Amino acid sequence: MASKFWTQSDSGSEEERQSSYDSDPENEEDTPAEPTNTAVGNRYLQQNASDSDDSEEQKRVIRSAKDKRFEEMSATIDQIKNAIKINDWVSLQDSFDKINKQLDKVMRVTESERVPNLYIKALVILEDFLTQALANKDAKKKMSSSNAKALNSMKQKLKKNNKQYEYLISKYREKPESEEVSSEEEDDSDEETVSEPRDDESKVGSDSGSDTDNNIHNRDVHDPDMIKKKDKFMDKEFKKDPRDITWDTVNKKLKEVVAARGRKGTGRVELVEQLSFLTRVAKTPAQKLEILFTVVSAQFDINPGLSGHMPINVWKKCVDNMLAILDILNQYPNIVVNDMVEPDENETQKGADYNGTIRVWGNLIAYLERIDAEFFKSLQCIDPHTKEFVERLRDEPLFLVLAQNVQDYLEKTGNMKAAAKVALKRVELVYYKPQEVYDAMRKLADLSEERDDVESEAEESKWSDEQRAPPSFVVVPEVVPRKPTFPESSRVFMDTLVSLIYKYGDERTKARAMLCDIYHHALLDEFSTSRDLLLMSHLQDNIQIMDISTQILYNRAMAQLGLSAFRNGLFTEGHSCLSELYSAGRVRELIAQGVSQSRYHEKTPEQERLERRRQMPYHMHINLELLEAVHLTCAMLLEVPNMAANTVDSKRRVISKTFRRFFEISERQILMGPPENVRDHVMAATRALSQGDYQKAFDLITSLQVWKLLKNKDAVFQMLKDKIKEEALRTYLFSYATSYSSLALDQLSKMFGLSESTTHSIVNKMMISEELHASWDQPTRCIVFHDVGLSRLQALAFQLTDKLSILAESNERAVETKFGSGLGGGGLDGLPLRRRDAGDYAAAVGSGGGGNRWQDSQSYNQGRQGGSTTGRYGGGGRSFGPGQTSGGGGGYSRDRTGQTRGTSSYGGRHSYQSGSSKMDSSARMVSLSRGIR
Amino acid sequence: MANPAPIRSFLQAAKAEEVAPALRVVQMEGLAILKIIKHCKEFSPALVTGQLLGLDVGSVLEVTNCFPFPNREDDEELEAEGANYQLEMMRCLREVNVDNNTVGWYQSTLLGSYQTVELIETFMNYQENIKRCVCIIYDPSKSNQGVLALKALKLSDSFMELYRSNNFTGEKLREKNLTWVDIFEEIPIKVSNSPLISACMTELEADTPVAQGDLDRLQLSTKPFMERNLEFLMECMDDMSQEQQKFQYHYRNIARQQTQQQAWLQKRRAENMARKAAGEEPSPEEDPSNPIFKLIAEPSRLETFLLTNQISNYCNQINGVAGLSFNRLYLMKALHEN
Repeated sequence: MASKFWTQSDSGSEEERQSSYDSDPENEEDTPAEPTNTAVGNRYLQQNASDSDDSEEQKRVIRSAKDKRFEEMSATIDQIKNAIKINDWVSLQDSFDKINKQLDKVMRVTESERVPNLYIKALVILEDFLTQALANKDAKKKMSSSNAKALNSMKQKLKKNNKQYEYLISKYREKPESEEVSSEEEDDSDEETVSEPRDDESKVGSDSGSDTDNNIHNRDVHDPDMIKKKDKFMDKEFKKDPRDITWDTVNKKLKEVVAARGRKGTGRVELVEQLSFLTRVAKTPAQKLEILFTVVSAQFDINPGLSGHMPINVWKKCVDNMLAILDILNQYPNIVVNDMVEPDENETQKGADYNGTIRVWGNLIAYLERIDAEFFKSLQCIDPHTKEFVERLRDEPLFLVLAQNVQDYLEKTGNMKAAAKVALKRVELVYYKPQEVYDAMRKLADLSEERDDVESEAEESKWSDEQRAPPSFVVVPEVVPRKPTFPESSRVFMDTLVSLIYKYGDERTKARAMLCDIYHHALLDEFSTSRDLLLMSHLQDNIQIMDISTQILYNRAMAQLGLSAFRNGLFTEGHSCLSELYSAGRVRELIAQGVSQSRYHEKTPEQERLERRRQMPYHMHINLELLEAVHLTCAMLLEVPNMAANTVDSKRRVISKTFRRFFEISERQILMGPPENVRDHVMAATRALSQGDYQKAFDLITSLQVWKLLKNKDAVFQMLKDKIKEEALRTYLFSYATSYSSLALDQLSKMFGLSESTTHSIVNKMMISEELHASWDQPTRCIVFHDVGLSRLQALAFQLTDKLSILAESNERAVETKFGSGLGGGGLDGLPLRRRDAGDYAAAVGSGGGGNRWQDSQSYNQGRQGGSTTGRYGGGGRSFGPGQTSGGGGGYSRDRTGQTRGTSSYGGRHSYQSGSSKMDSSARMVSLSRGIR
Repeated sequence: MANPAPIRSFLQAAKAEEVAPALRVVQMEGLAILKIIKHCKEFSPALVTGQLLGLDVGSVLEVTNCFPFPNREDDEELEAEGANYQLEMMRCLREVNVDNNTVGWYQSTLLGSYQTVELIETFMNYQENIKRCVCIIYDPSKSNQGVLALKALKLSDSFMELYRSNNFTGEKLREKNLTWVDIFEEIPIKVSNSPLISACMTELEADTPVAQGDLDRLQLSTKPFMERNLEFLMECMDDMSQEQQKFQYHYRNIARQQTQQQAWLQKRRAENMARKAAGEEPSPEEDPSNPIFKLIAEPSRLETFLLTNQISNYCNQINGVAGLSFNRLYLMKALHEN
């Protein structure tokens, strides 16, 4: 194509040879106005005819300058000739450098890529002389040292330089003044004229591919090897009469090209070029389809290596090809794509009018998934802060169109399972988008379509450049829409797709769709819906055995669930969702938003690479700072009253270990600076809150910048403020109850700015849950405190029992590890009995909590004794996580942890839950999810 | 505390020839007891030690006198001085014609927390020089409650044998049939006074029906004692858990090693099959040089044994005190009702 220019000798017509990527503004402007040309003698560019006036003008203006350059060049060549005569390599070297410089100038002036023949001539002369000089050993020996040195360097330079023009040189050698080349071209042109209009037609609509092609061309142009090869290939095809091209020739050619694939020395890009050329000459739709499949898979091959991504232009072309495939498939419903059976050799020979089914080998879903993976990878690799990233994101609708069409097609052909898979791909592109982003994407899709309409005109001319190749024999109109259709709201979009998946998808697809659904619900502030979905689907039971990317999705869904709970003012739930993510300090890794450095564990490069491949692209990130702020705030609200309640033995009931650790660290600091990061803010707020200064705590928390990322921020702040006041009141009562003998209600409510009824209810809750040993004195509206503190001896006794149970448990396990394998699970009569006891006990307490329906609305403790005993068992279970257990004991103790967790949460932390059964399972949900990675 | 014990009584030397009869009773002179009590009580929270002097007569070990060791703060410097002091002291005592035959040592303790590795080491030290020695343990805190908390201990022979070989694996212990109870042997103490002193005491005895000890015994406040006991008990539990973790770790290691060995063996067998097929000599299935076949040393059980002893000691004390307290409380209740 572009390479055809090279063979032209007529330097005068150079100006016209501007391909669309040349940056001549004039030409750019012209083209849109240009109607698609009809059969013009010149087959190279359609616009040439009307363009010629302009170019004539141009020529006239610059002719003198050009001539000057040429004169200079010929002068240099004379110099070279002189130097050759006297065998002066030093001056020859200078002249050579000079001529190279001049070449640049000439090229600039003539505004073409074509190297003047004059230059080639000089090169040939030089080369000849060089070989001559090298052959003459005696003369070489006689040379002066500087001369010999110059000779050697000349040898190198010339070799390097000539490589670029190898083809031209050989051509020049063949026919020193190659005027006749143009005539040869004339021969071909009639062939061209016939097909031109059709070609245009078929390509008009396929948008955006054009600049892609140009890029490729740009690259090709600089690669002489490729040009040569391609040229040969094309020439061969061109020389044929179009009527001579039969199915067989194409088929043979295809086999040949496919066989060359993957072989050493076969350029990948070039392969794609050849194949896409073949698609045009394909005789039957089925054959075209077959070739298109090969093209797509060849395009996948362009980028080797797993880490890099496919070049974007290739990707776009790939999508276009896929759309073309779908066009064919929709046009000819009798063609069936299948990858299960190897179809008959000559299956594709059957023409468009053939009525039976035609089987073509190919796998639409695999290709689609690959395209999706490439898109994902490119987003991973591109720096998110560049314009490139945004540009890339704009291609998303393009993929959505493709996915939509593939899905439609699959649904039409009844392959619902595959359709569900495709639907999942679409879901995965949309689930993380809040409504606003979704709207933006919709608008973008509309816009890009309009823009395409405008541009398509302009692009036609560009297209035509490469359409010089023969047009396709099989023309398929665009059947499938090129524009995505989106429902109004993202929820509707999700619902339709997800229900399809639930109906037809396989296990993994369903699980992923479910997680996306949960995520999306959570994103839309529908906490209860998404939580119910999560609990009903029992995903948390078997998430550990799923693949890592699903686990990441699960973690992301959990994180989003936590954020959603926070926005809804459900701080306890929010904490239980998030605490698991933060327990190991590897949030980044868990939600795949960066690699966390481990101090003790060096990762192998292999692991690191794998991890990097799992990373989420930037636009899908959940803001980590916000996540941390939410987690710590939730933990603070739960932990501060808890710490105040258990001053004697603070270690016994820890709600959030992470929070405790942070707090201890910040307590140990000698100098307290103003808070800087999220953690500092929350810690400062914690200190304020534990002193009862709720206002300061609130101010500190709200001074964080990240909150601006929060939807309906003000409402959340209001809730947060109320909650902080409440917790401040509780903390105050816990800490100072012992110092009072009575306390007036109005005093309390004034102190914390709470209404009297709220204060009353909080105090009531504390009394009933026996966190506060007090009673109301109704007439005076006072709280009367009873002094029923534990004596030290009692406290010690409690601690001792804790320790004893730990010891007993580890003893059991030690015995199990020693004899467990030999005796089997139930071999030791004594131990299972004990286990059962403990389990029953926990269950009894649990059912007690659930059974007392009348208490549920406020949810109370089982009383001091009950609470602490369960707490103790809980303590026993908790300190030995399932991670530590081994062998037969593992299953049991994991089970047990779940149970005891459930019960211990009845003991205290549930006070503000409405449905205790709900929370029981959510506590379980969290504890079970701990096994993730 | 290397005590050379340079001078042996004639009798003892003679006894050494024969098979020594088992030690049945420790007979203590009132003087020695009082001296011990005085010394221990004066330094009460701090722990002190001293030397016991006396005679070894058949199955009875007579403790006739004792002297305290100076309070040592910095062991390094005063080590030599301490030894000199002992020698000097013994020489002086000999000059005034007191028994200067070392038969053991006494030490004070806090709530009976004496079962330590150090005690055993000291015991072994003494044992090297003196065939028969005892350790008298006095607990001032317990004595406050009106009992004479005096104990004479010695290490059991089987334990000593085991300790010398320094092999406290589970297997060895089972072989020896040694349990934690068998580490220490308590020997009954008999207090003897010369008739003269007895007569004097009777003379001095007041007419009041109750003595100071009786009054102490009636003290109702047992709380601090219980609390301390509990605290100590908890410490022991923690240590115990740690020990247990050591064992768990050990078992995990062993399990891991076994799987490694299995894998290695399988690989070797497969190799051998291949070799056999190729007609080569099979390589041995044991490879002692391979690190995975090295035996993992079992952690010593001594610590666990001592801890168990300690725990049982605390439990006994708590039981005893609790029982007594109940008695007292009932008594008081009855008195009130009257």
